[in-house]
This record gives sequence, C-alpha cells and structure tokens, in this order.
Amino acid sequence: MNFSKIFNTSLIYATFRSATPIIYAALCAAITQQADILNIGTEGIMLTGAFAAVTVSYLTGSWILGVLTAMAAGFLMSMIMAVGHIRYKAEICAIGMGINMFAIAITKFLLNSVLGKSGTFSEPEIQAIPRVSLPFLTKVKFLNELFNNWCITEWFVIVLIIAIWFIFYKTVWGLRLRAVGQFPAAAQTAGINVNAMKYQAIAISGLIGGLAGAHLSLGYSKMFTENMTNARGFMGVAAMYFGSGHPILTAVGCLVFGFSDSIGARLQAYGVPSQLVLLMPYVVVIVTLAISMASKLAREKKRKSSLA
Amino acid sequence: MDAYVIEMENIVKTFGEVKAITDGQFTLKEGEIHSLIGENGAGKSTMMKSLYGMYDIDSGIIKIRGDLMGHITPKIAIEKGIGMVHQEFMLVNDLTVLENIILGFEPKKGITIDFEKARGSIGQYIDQYKMDIQLNKKINQISVGEAQRVEIIKILTRGANVIILDEPTAVLTPQETKQLFKILKNLKADGKSIVFISHKLNEVMEISDRISVMRQSKYIGTVNKNETSQSELAKMMIGREVFLNIEKASAKTGETVLDVKDVWVSGEKEISKIKGVSLQVKAGEIVGLAGIDGNGQSELIEAITGLREVEKGEILLEGKNITGKSPGKIRSIGLTHIPEDRNVRGLNRTMSIEDNLAAAKIEDVQFSKWALIKKKAIHKYAVGLADTFDIRPRNPQSLTAALSGGNAQKVVVAREVAMNGKLLVASQPTRGVDIGAIESIRTILQDVKLKGLGVLLVSADLEEILSLSDRIVVMHEGKISGEAIASETDEEKLGLLMMGGADLSSSKSGGDLD
Repeated sequence: MNFSKIFNTSLIYATFRSATPIIYAALCAAITQQADILNIGTEGIMLTGAFAAVTVSYLTGSWILGVLTAMAAGFLMSMIMAVGHIRYKAEICAIGMGINMFAIAITKFLLNSVLGKSGTFSEPEIQAIPRVSLPFLTKVKFLNELFNNWCITEWFVIVLIIAIWFIFYKTVWGLRLRAVGQFPAAAQTAGINVNAMKYQAIAISGLIGGLAGAHLSLGYSKMFTENMTNARGFMGVAAMYFGSGHPILTAVGCLVFGFSDSIGARLQAYGVPSQLVLLMPYVVVIVTLAISMASKLAREKKRKSSLA
Repeated sequence: MDAYVIEMENIVKTFGEVKAITDGQFTLKEGEIHSLIGENGAGKSTMMKSLYGMYDIDSGIIKIRGDLMGHITPKIAIEKGIGMVHQEFMLVNDLTVLENIILGFEPKKGITIDFEKARGSIGQYIDQYKMDIQLNKKINQISVGEAQRVEIIKILTRGANVIILDEPTAVLTPQETKQLFKILKNLKADGKSIVFISHKLNEVMEISDRISVMRQSKYIGTVNKNETSQSELAKMMIGREVFLNIEKASAKTGETVLDVKDVWVSGEKEISKIKGVSLQVKAGEIVGLAGIDGNGQSELIEAITGLREVEKGEILLEGKNITGKSPGKIRSIGLTHIPEDRNVRGLNRTMSIEDNLAAAKIEDVQFSKWALIKKKAIHKYAVGLADTFDIRPRNPQSLTAALSGGNAQKVVVAREVAMNGKLLVASQPTRGVDIGAIESIRTILQDVKLKGLGVLLVSADLEEILSLSDRIVVMHEGKISGEAIASETDEEKLGLLMMGGADLSSSKSGGDLD
C-alpha cells in the first residue's frame, strides 16, 4: 500500500468535495436548530431538491432554473413541516420522518411518470452547475490541484458558512432567533413574534436544503438516482449536533465526514472490501457523535440530580 | 381628580376549567406605587399578565391612558409604555446582559447591531438610577439581584412609564430588597407608575401608596396605605384572622439523627457547588437551613436524600452511612422527605389522592400482596389521612392535579409524616400554598418535632425559618456561612449571613449595605 498515493494534495480537495453536500445539509439543520427545532427532515428536503434540480435543468437546459426550482421545492417541503409543527403542534421528529419518506416516494413516482425512467436518470441534456476555471493557477501545480475547477456551489458554500455565522451572531434577526430558541417566553415578552421567527427559520432552512439537493445532483454529480442523498441529510444533522448549531464548527464536523469518505474511496483501490469502505463514513458519524455526546454527558453527569 | 394611567374593569379570565379571575378591578394613578396583594392563586399575576398582553381576557375592559384596548400583545403593551418584571426572569441565559437588554429593540448600524450605541444609551439609565450592572457578563454568571436590575433596565430602555413587578422580593435578601426599594422610590420620583405584586404585608406597607386586595379570583377592595394596617390587609386577603406565628414548643433533644460530615456535591452548572458542608440534626429539634435560592440548599437536600451523587464526605442517618445509597434504601432507614417541588417530585399529578398517599407504602403487605394492589385497604387508609390532615376535597379518588396548591402539599405532608420516620427533610414546605394551609403545615412540622423526629427545614422564607426552627444554619455559595440559635437572631443578621458576610459586628451598626 502506498501511503503517498492516498495522502496527497488531491485528498484535500476530495475531502472538501465530499463534504460540501453535507455542509449544505448541516447548515439547513443549523438554522432551525437555533430556533430549537430539530430538522430531521433535512434528508427529504435535500432529496426533493436534487430531483427538482435535475428535472428542470434537463427540461429547460438551464442550471440556474434548476437550482432555483430546487430551492422552491425545498421551501415547499419545509413549509409542510412548519405548518404541521407550529400551527398544528405536531411532533417535529415525526413530521420530519414523514417528510423523508414522502420525499423518497414522490421522487421515485415522478421519476417514473414525468421522466419515464426508473432507478437512475442521467442524460447528456442535463446542464450541470459550471466549474470555475482559474487559468492563472495552472502555473503552480499545488494551487492548481487545490483550487482550480471548483464547482460554483462549492465556492458558494464558503460564502454561505460565513454569511450564516454573521447572521447568527451579528444581526438583529440572529439575536432574536437565538433568543427564541433558548427561551421563547423571554423573546415573547420582548415583543418578538416567536412563531413568525420559527416560520422564517424553517423557510430559510428549506431554501438551503433545496440548494443542498441541487448541488448534489447538478454540482457534485450530474444525474438523479433514487434515494441519492443516501443519508447525507442525516449526516448533516449529526454534524450540526457536533457543532451545536454553530455554522463554522458544524462545517468542521462535515469535513471530518468528507475526509473519511474520500479516504475510503482511495482504500478501495488497494483491495479493501468495498462494503467496509462504504461503511466508513457512517462509522465515523457514530464515533464522532458518541465522543461528543459522551464528553457532554460526562460533564453533565456530576451536575445532574438523578431525577432531573 | 387624578387621571388614571391604567383602568381594568370587570375582568374575567379562565384557563380551561380553572377560573383564574372572576371579577378583576384595578386602577393605577400617575406616579404612584400601587400594591396588588393576595394569596397565591388569587389572580394577581393573571391580572397583570393580561394587562401586559400575555393572556387574552375572556371579558372586561382594559384602558391605558383612557384608550380602550382591544386585543393586547406584549408588543402593543410595550409600545403603550408598559413594562413587566416577571416572577421568573425573562432573560436568556446564554446571551449577555447587553444582548438581553436590547433584545427586540436593537439599535442598528447598517445590517449589524450597533452594540456601542446600545452600551451608551443603557449606560445613561444605569447612571441615573445608580444600578450596579455588568453588561458583558452572561446571565448565568450574575446574581439574582443583578438579574432583577437587568430586567428593570430592560424595561426602562423600552420607554416604560408603567412598571409591573411580580413578587420581586421573593428571591432577594433583606438587604437586596432595601436596594430594590430605593430604586423603586427613585423611579417614582421620576414620575413612573409602579405596580407591586406581593403577599408580604410588611413590604407592602413600606413601599405602597395604595393597596388593592384580591381573594379567590375576586377583587376585594382598595385602600390607602395611610389608612390601613397589616392586620386589616391580612383580614382582607384571607377573609378571617390568621395566626402564623405558632407558639414555639421546645422538645427534649435526643441523639443525633442526621450527621453530614464535610460533604462536597456538584451542582447543575458547576462541579463542587457545595464545598465541605457539615451539619447535625438531633431528634426533637427543627434545624432551619436558610439561604438565598441557588446557594446549594437544593443540592445538599438532594445529596442527603440520595437523589444526587456525593463527591466526597459522609452522610450518616441514625448512625448508618447512607452516602451513595439509593433513595429507597435511605427511606427504609428512616428518611422522610417533602420535596421542594411537589408537582415534579412530590406527587404524581395524574394519579388520585389515595394512590399518592399510599405510594410510599405500596409494598407493605397491608396494601399489596404478590403483584396485586389492595384497593380497599388503600382507600380506607387514605380516608383516614385525609381526615387527619384536612385534605380537601375529602374524596380520595379525585386527581391530585385538580387540587389547590395547599391541598396538594398536604397530600405530600400527610404521606411523609405517616411514614413515621426518624428524620423529616422539609424543603420549601409552604411555597405556593395559601395562608390557611401554611398555618396547618407549620403546626404539623411542630408536632412532628414534638414526637421526637429530627426536622431539617429548608425555606426561602426567613420568617418561616425564624418562627419554626430551634437552630438556624445559613448557606452561602455552597458553604455554611453561619449558625445561630433561633431565639438569639433576627432577619437582619440572617440576611447578612445569606450574603456571605460572617462579620456580625457590622449588622449591629445598622446592617445597611448602601
């Protein structure tokens, strides 16, 4: 086994590339988390977005329309959650799981009925999200490998992480959102409309979730397959937990998952059984969550009374 | 004629089955301090929360500066110049003091929050009313008294000229209360109108201009401070004369029942919240554990009763080491416990009175055989206890959730006293119960002592500690800050100990910290 072939410069981009869809998903979950809403429906929102993006891009030949439609689809899905949870007081996890199952079924159905395919939809007419070519980088091999030919949405995710951090901690909306999440009664007495804030958070979460899907099907790949999110939404939720809803820490968590994913892909070339390799990211998710939960619990254990 | 800032007429408010207010009346004049008093559950808070728009009233009229109000929300109330300091502070723990104050009314610079401008305008109020506040600390790092000042500043920066304070002194030491009253008088001098909700008559007599009384969801009347007395107010509140100061009977003290030796315990938010506490309770005495809420009393009680892990140290009950033993095991040795929150730990609210009364003895052959419960025996037992302890309604099959605070607490007290243990740990036994029940619960505690049990009484109410205890132990920041014989101390001295000041000499020179 040649370690220099596994751990080389291209691993850095590979890690980032694998992590990006998860980062989008994690940001989708982080926004609602700040309002104390666990967005377990991230997976379903993302899958719907992925399907909408491919379909519209294929039909219109415009990736921009594809992305926008994906965001609209994510918004719609999130509004189902919002109305169910806020207006009709449904348990958010139950609704989220409902959204996830609904998304798998509806995309499968539409794949058959609208696009006339089953399993995978991959046509040359699908317009992918373009990659950014930076010719001046070609001179330096290292930088070229690192930064050239990134997908637009890969650059954008960095902007989005910073923007969301800024919104959470520097703007009025972010302050109010955090207050709503931590102590709704205090926010209410400050004259803040708690439900309106929750609706807004879920709506924005839906837009980002849709974008996550669009990036997955038009940026990360250029096709749609049934259940193509493959638990990336859940990984995003896990990373969000790891980062306690802080966008930057959350993104770091996603990079850990991305790293394990791309290392796995490389190990496969050396005869490591593919089942084991495919297992790796999930093992890492469980280990990461277990470690972060265990350390949290250890800190809390002594403080808590046994009945609390 | 004085113009009214606030007029509330014929207010009715129900929560499901519960009639919170059946006939509410209230008026507030410009620049007055108007106290709204009544027992717990009389409807005082509900009245003011309705004014502040937290509840919608079923019927009645609310006028603010003569304007008839329809639907009120907190936002509208704030715009109309009304601010409220809630009993439970409306502060977000993880945000800073500054962020909490500006929440909802943030000054902006472009798209960001203008923290500098906020700091400046808040600083003005802090200076004007001479309040001691640290803007950069997070709420979970400041004291209760400071948090209360933050609440007042928060309201002032929102332009309030009517300030409602819901039982503001319940969480304060006597010294902090004095400081609060100074602030309130300054505010009044500035033309602010203040509503002061309380059931502590001495405070009401000290601070008010006018006093309105509510009893059992109804408005009883309004009096001028100068034309009334504490005993008249008490009568209005309760509808009859009461005697809370139970004559103290002393019993012969016996062996040490509870021996706490250098115990360290962690708290919810910090490791080693209790740092080396030692105390003893002998048979036939009541030891009062005083202290401001949150100074480790709850943690100590939980450690003694086996509900919280002990870091180090030893706890002996009847000479047996109970450190780290399970609550069940400790109870079998002779511990009985009235927990501080009857709704969380004292009762199963979804169960009947009789089930709750028998709960601690359900494994006795008397009440169950094999896996089967003897319903009849339990019923008979419950009827007996309900009679002895005057639990109303007398039907032991009614749900405890439907009981008033006082009767619910009597169920807990009856169950624990009937256990005939060696030690009774009574944590806030009269919190949130009506005065009639306070009277009987205090008498019961006294009887328990005379029967030869050791009693450890924890209470935030100094008057209760003083009137019941033989010895008083004061906790401050997880340590014992002082000990006193009840007959040789007073509220002032205890108050100083509650602040951690072990130096008793300063209390003789007035004890005024200002």
